[in-house]
Amino acid sequence: MTIGRILTGFSLTLALVFAGACTKASKDSSNTLYAYSIAKIKGLDPAFSDDLYSGAEVARVYDTLLQYHYLKRPYVLEPSLAEALPEISKDGKTYTFKLKKGVLFQDDAAFEKTQGKGRELVAEDFIYSFKRLANPKLNSPMWWILDGKIAGLNEWRATQAKAEKVDYDVPVSGLKAVDSHTLQVVLTQPSYQFIYNIAMPAASAVAREVVEKYGPEFLNHPVGTGAFKVAEYNPASKIIYVKNPTFRKEVYPSEGAAGDQEKGLLADAGKTLPLVDKIVMTVYTESQPQWLTFMKGELDYSSIPKDSFNQALTPQKELQPELKKQGVALHSSPQLDITHFSFNMTDPVVGKNKYLRQAISLAMDNDKQIELFYNGRAISAQGPIPPGLSGYDEKLVNPYKGHNIEKAKELMKKAGYPDGKGLAPLEYVTISDSTTRQMTEFYQKEMAEIGVQVKVQTYSWPEFQQSVKNKKGQVWSYAWGADYPDAENFLQLFYSKNASPGPNDSNYNNPEFDKLYEKALTLPDGPERTALYQKMVALVVEDTPWVFGVHRLLFGLTHRWMKNYKPHEFHGMSKYYAIDTALRK
Amino acid sequence: MFVFLVRRIVGSIPVIFGVALVVFVLFNIVGGDPALQMVGKHATAQQIADIRREYGLDQPLFVQFFNYLKEILTFEFGRSYATRQKISDMILNGIGPSLSLAVPAFLVTTVLAVSIGLVVSYFRGKLIDRATVLLCVVGISIPSLGYILFGQYILAYKMNLFPISGFDYSWSGRIEYLVLPAIVWILLSVGYDVRFYRTALLEETSQDYVRTARAKGLSEPRIFFKHVLKNSMVPIVTNVILEIPLLILGAFLLESFFGIPGIGSITIDAIHNSDLPVIKAMATMTSLLYIFGNIMTDVVYTLVDPRVKLK
Repeated sequence: MTIGRILTGFSLTLALVFAGACTKASKDSSNTLYAYSIAKIKGLDPAFSDDLYSGAEVARVYDTLLQYHYLKRPYVLEPSLAEALPEISKDGKTYTFKLKKGVLFQDDAAFEKTQGKGRELVAEDFIYSFKRLANPKLNSPMWWILDGKIAGLNEWRATQAKAEKVDYDVPVSGLKAVDSHTLQVVLTQPSYQFIYNIAMPAASAVAREVVEKYGPEFLNHPVGTGAFKVAEYNPASKIIYVKNPTFRKEVYPSEGAAGDQEKGLLADAGKTLPLVDKIVMTVYTESQPQWLTFMKGELDYSSIPKDSFNQALTPQKELQPELKKQGVALHSSPQLDITHFSFNMTDPVVGKNKYLRQAISLAMDNDKQIELFYNGRAISAQGPIPPGLSGYDEKLVNPYKGHNIEKAKELMKKAGYPDGKGLAPLEYVTISDSTTRQMTEFYQKEMAEIGVQVKVQTYSWPEFQQSVKNKKGQVWSYAWGADYPDAENFLQLFYSKNASPGPNDSNYNNPEFDKLYEKALTLPDGPERTALYQKMVALVVEDTPWVFGVHRLLFGLTHRWMKNYKPHEFHGMSKYYAIDTALRK
Repeated sequence: MFVFLVRRIVGSIPVIFGVALVVFVLFNIVGGDPALQMVGKHATAQQIADIRREYGLDQPLFVQFFNYLKEILTFEFGRSYATRQKISDMILNGIGPSLSLAVPAFLVTTVLAVSIGLVVSYFRGKLIDRATVLLCVVGISIPSLGYILFGQYILAYKMNLFPISGFDYSWSGRIEYLVLPAIVWILLSVGYDVRFYRTALLEETSQDYVRTARAKGLSEPRIFFKHVLKNSMVPIVTNVILEIPLLILGAFLLESFFGIPGIGSITIDAIHNSDLPVIKAMATMTSLLYIFGNIMTDVVYTLVDPRVKLK
């Protein structure tokens, strides 16, 4: 009897628990975009938007002077908060931006003078925002976008570093508000990357009174001029945005790249942005729940996780018929990135022996690597510049790639290590996640073919970074994604002044390369600069400070109700997305 | 009792000091340089030096350790290096979701496990006992990821019984999102707990007083549910109270897969990012909770067993 009662009690409890849970996810018929992030969001302060995911969220709320055209490829800049592209002086050093009139910050209690109504954006806001990036007490990881570029800004930073409190009222010679809506920026030297730098989310306009009111909590009180404002905020799990009611008049583009018209990407041309009323952004740090949520129709778009690739695509990289039937669309585009093995060029063994590096590069089976670790979603990199950027040469064939063991063995002889004899095991520094472990095993097997032994040193990510930045270890693998669409962003990875702890992690140092790089910096995009880029590529291909890996392809899926989706490398695109609410029901 | 509590609290100070020292040494030796994490991919030596100076990372280690002890005393751990969020806010925001999952799951698991333990120990050696023990062993042997994947794929995706993952701060939202992870939690821990409580109960049934009771002709259910259960409370209470700190600290894997913004994932993120202030705060919180749990266990002993006296 007693046991019977106990068991009945359990059954009832469990039944109640299940009953409480059995709420089927309803299909939302509102004009809402269901978006996601694969990492927690650090906060929404543009000055700390140094990771991809925080940058993407910052760009929903904040605006920059210039932005990337949504549809045109290759990527081109267009005005955002600026009325037009800047006027550039003949010497290439003075940029004059006319700001759009009537652009308002989102309403916030910090705007006391206007009783909480967002005030108009003025040129001084950019001067403040740029100085804030330079603030030595703030130590923004995005300072690099302006470091050394604007006349007087580095000096201002140095002066403020000595002061007890940073004084934003101290003028900077290179930053001037000619009038309330005209911003003049004087550069230290001509820079054709500057306009890309100021299109990054970190260069967004922030309002001084908001920053000062919230202090260190500003990162949780985003107040921008962007298309969306934050309605619900939990950066570790979910952020809900709603349409900014005071957003300036901006319309969907009426021109695009070839083929966009046929794909229906111009159907909303001229419509007022943003096209959705609300964005629900959920954080998924694991790929399985993100993928299943998409498959259930509760996310509007998704990348394809490595482990779900076969569920989504056939071996011919086409959409599985079942998904096609549901109206799911497949989008693929090359990413502006590169993976690579870096040789530590300060190491007395690998750094001083070009033939050894070339032999190792030749021993790597890139095609197999693409098949095993990228599900075929990558193309072999012949040099550092990815396709889609000026300077990329599709005819380039790297003579030290192609899994040629015979040639690699010859080079090993030339290097002074026939069949690896006399060569101590190479110290390969790596991180400890499962894919990297598999790649390391593959790498060890490849090296064994030419007699090179590999000693693996596994670290956590912070330790790995410490090792690389302190030039310890002989070889490691890394990847680089474009900050902006200029090959310079990839070539700077070989500039000697950027050696560790800077982004030149291989510590490559070639005065000839440096000379070409410095000259290229002074040239606008054109045949002359492209020729210089290609010369630089030839140098690094021959010197092989890297084993060039792959340029990854981005594969994404959208449900049939999601409109206007076009893969884009940069941020701020959610204002163009549209939802066919009738189809989602 | 008061003297006992004061003595235990004073006695725990060296423990906290020891934990602080171990955490400090461990993360200063193997944790990587936090300045490199903060400065980003375009680092310059000057920026790294500035950050090290700003956060006191350029100070001698003993000064840094002294500052850490000060933080423990004041419970003021500042801001996270990685997210720049206030650590007290991170913990406060994380405790709610962690406990929302852990408390109901833990209570159900405990009631279920004690009850099943009672039933199977009552039927010791019979089919129901053997079958339950076998089920428990099988249940323990299945990796936790297996339960999670099954729950998300079959129960949530295929059968549409639950949301796949997520969290909502409203009470109805919490119930909606937390039932599936709670079921997984129960499945994950009930097998271990049943075996533990069964053993504790069986241990008790071999005591002399049980033989005496039987000799006196008391009925088996009376012996079992009145006397054996009461006397088994000491190991049961020990197990339950020692698990309480773990509840607050969250279940990392469940939180991570089910998108619950709890304490478990904050801790793991901090370790991944070499986020020293958060690591220090969590280590302090953990040691304090364990000390509190231990003291509570001793106090509760006196309630469940009159023979125990606190001295």
